[in-house]
Amino acid sequence: MNEQQRLLRKVSTAQFAAWELHLYLDTHPCDTQANEMFRKYTDEANSFKREYEHKYGPLMVSASNEADWLKSPWPWENERSCD
Amino acid sequence: MFSYEKKLQYPVNIKNPNPKLAQIIITQYGGPDGELGASLRYLSQRFAMPYSELKGLLTDIGTEELGHLEMIGAIVYQLTRNLSLEEIEKSGFDTYFVDHTTGIYPVAASGYPYTAAQFQSKGDVITDLHEDLAAEQKARTTYDNILRLVDDPDVREPIKFLRAREVVHYQRFGEGLRLATDRLNSKNFYAFNPSFDGKNFKPRMK
Repeated sequence: MNEQQRLLRKVSTAQFAAWELHLYLDTHPCDTQANEMFRKYTDEANSFKREYEHKYGPLMVSASNEADWLKSPWPWENERSCD
Repeated sequence: MFSYEKKLQYPVNIKNPNPKLAQIIITQYGGPDGELGASLRYLSQRFAMPYSELKGLLTDIGTEELGHLEMIGAIVYQLTRNLSLEEIEKSGFDTYFVDHTTGIYPVAASGYPYTAAQFQSKGDVITDLHEDLAAEQKARTTYDNILRLVDDPDVREPIKFLRAREVVHYQRFGEGLRLATDRLNSKNFYAFNPSFDGKNFKPRMK
């Protein structure tokens, strides 16, 4: 796994934690602790995502221009590992 | 509104093509308990849901299933790259190949094309949530069966992730059902359609 893949993994891990808490909060909206954790992981995911997009190109078109968006890898193509 | 993020929910990196596995796993793309049906089921049912928590739950799980559809597409795509004609013929993938080459098409492993007749949107919260609970279990069983047939760890890892999501969704739908029944008149949970026969509602909880 190279640096880019490692950072993308960090984005995905934080996003997944936030998403799992979000689903939990759909049925437990008043759980204060879960709300705090949701906030924490959402902020963490956003900050990793900004770092990733700055270094390696956009994950969302809104973070970039059309040319860079088309250049960044499509997620169903293998992450070809060179190391 | 939906906006697209250019990444998979869980990574798919398959080194060795295997058209036989592709033909099995495509069933979670367009088969009777697949991700397309799951997504359309929840995203369609949510409009008739009476409570905000349930609208939220169906929106979220329906959206996640679209991400799972993309993962299954990625698995099938990577399993069918750089195939020789001999591999296609020997593996039995030729019956898919003749109609779709190596394009991704929503179809069951049996070859039956995707149909919305595989799910319901009944406009009744109790009926729909029971269907959703069953749907998650049927998908979990399908992933169990796929895991019985697959040895390649590159394929097993994302499939194991998807299987685990079915279990979590089942849990959340169970909580959703309980939330709904807690707010209904206990004398007639199953005697009326609470989404249509409004008089059977208890007032909304604050």
